[in-house]
Amino acid sequence: MANENNSRKAILVTPELCIGCRACQVACKSWNQLPAITTKNNGSYQNPPDLAGTAFNIIRFNEVPSKDNPVRWLFVSRRCMHCDDAGCMNICPTPGAIFRTPEGAVATNSDKCIGCKLCVQACPFDVPRYDEQGKMSKCHLCFDRIANDMQPSCIKTCPTGALKFGDRAELVTAAKSEGYSTLYGEKDLGGLGSVYAFKEEPNLYGMLENPRIPSSVVFWHTYLKPLSYIGLGGVVAAAAIHYLAVGPHKDDKEV
Amino acid sequence: MAEMIRKSSVDEVVNHWVLAGSCLLLMITGFAFLFHLEPVGSMFGGFNTMKDVHNWGGVVFSLSLLYSMKHYLADAFEYDADDLQWFKVAGGYLSHKVTVPPMGKYNPGQKLYYLAIVACGLGISISGFGIWLMKDDSTIMLLSHLVHNIAFCVFAIAVPVHIYLSTLANPGTFQIMVNGKLPLALARKRYPKWIKAVGKM
Ligand code: HEM
Ligand code: HEM
Ligand code: SF4
Ligand code: SF4
Ligand code: SF4
Repeated sequence: MANENNSRKAILVTPELCIGCRACQVACKSWNQLPAITTKNNGSYQNPPDLAGTAFNIIRFNEVPSKDNPVRWLFVSRRCMHCDDAGCMNICPTPGAIFRTPEGAVATNSDKCIGCKLCVQACPFDVPRYDEQGKMSKCHLCFDRIANDMQPSCIKTCPTGALKFGDRAELVTAAKSEGYSTLYGEKDLGGLGSVYAFKEEPNLYGMLENPRIPSSVVFWHTYLKPLSYIGLGGVVAAAAIHYLAVGPHKDDKEV
Repeated sequence: MAEMIRKSSVDEVVNHWVLAGSCLLLMITGFAFLFHLEPVGSMFGGFNTMKDVHNWGGVVFSLSLLYSMKHYLADAFEYDADDLQWFKVAGGYLSHKVTVPPMGKYNPGQKLYYLAIVACGLGISISGFGIWLMKDDSTIMLLSHLVHNIAFCVFAIAVPVHIYLSTLANPGTFQIMVNGKLPLALARKRYPKWIKAVGKM
């Protein structure tokens, strides 16, 4: 895999440690200069209700009562997963609109984006959102900060260690040794750049089971794309061979 | 000067070049999207403008495709025993020694080519409008993306074959799409049933 190298960085989310303070949401807005959005109370403390063009990360408030705790909340940070096999990058028709940084981040450049919204179709996690100009916007793993040896803004602000940033391989090993038996995203889609450490079943926390790029997109990427240029090259070659080996119809000369 | 006969009306010739021009433009820009060809993007002043060129080029292509039905659709559905025989001798393209049966105005290869262009052209146009204008419907987007690209493969294969057959492979054909005419004597050889039908045999 392209990013099975030592330089790949990752975010390790440990939902168990999250207290739902949402400092990360604020820190992201602050670093990226994103305005607040007006939302309506929809019966949950989760706010905004989902990712948005100006909300690159949110804390999901999962209300999952247990026997001894009737008001149990399970907090999970939701953001771009920085997939190794990234559907958004596969489908994007514009070079440079979505790009991979040396650290393995899936970053965006809204000047290049043509606003076709194909990326949202190919993302298994429904992450891409659009800004007011209709350009794709999402978490970019603070690629500008991490390239300068700084922590992503949201990580730096997290008071409990529920969000950690570092070498992917190291984070994974550390989480395992601390007894987190299920690492969500360790292997999915070539390995995610946002890995989640659980002691319980990830679906209790509302994590998507078996994330997959839609099969039509995979089919297109593996077969149709090559077919278009192999087909074109093939018939051009066949025409040239036909011209030399058989030659044109000569009935225009015989009339 | 040899006596000439008109095969294509001015209307037909003009529409052919609108269709062919827009189609080639769409194929070039489409290839640039598919394979991230930055030099092609720069020719249009960046991918943002190229998207507009591709989308509005698509409008021209769609209209021109619909208009072309007036010229070719009826013929493209008529096949007879000679047409069947034409396939058996591969249209005379694989060997000059076989006898090609007498043809009408269009040979069955051309007629099937037209049907393929109509079917895939409608598919690529409708799906193109889907990707362009119905971005928020996920089913339409995914389906359109698939259909657009399947149809594109057909275009990438069929169009170069068409260009070769109507230029190098059949000398004298290209001028039909320039001034609409060809020498009557050549037409008698190539399209005897059509010449008979118009009473010039
Ligand atoms: C620059 C390249 C092209 C050249 C030189 C060319 C040339 C010709 C010629 C000479 C004919 C007349 C054939 C005859 O009457 O027997 C013709 C017909 C036709 N062309 Fe093209 N063409 C070109 C590109 C295209 C493209 C890109 C399209 C597709 C969308 C297209 C679609 C058609 C159709 C539908 C016909 C009607 C007859 C048939 O079905 O073969 N052409 N072309
Ligand atoms: C002969 C006709 C056409 C050809 C050969 C063609 C080819 C292509 C190709 C190869 C792509 C890139 C594939 C991808 O990334 O999915 C593409 C994308 C696209 N096409 Fe077409 N296309 C044609 C007609 C149209 C038409 C008629 C429309 C709309 C009216 C259209 C709208 C689009 C859109 C919206 C995209 C996505 C990228 C973008 O927004 O520009 N296409 N086309
Ligand atoms: S989560 Fe979605 S947007 Fe993020 S890298 Fe993966 S496919 Fe792309
Ligand atoms: S909306 Fe922008 S980033 Fe998404 S696929 Fe289209 S060009 Fe690429
Ligand atoms: S990594 Fe940066 S862009 Fe991504 S959620 Fe955190 S602060 Fe926002």
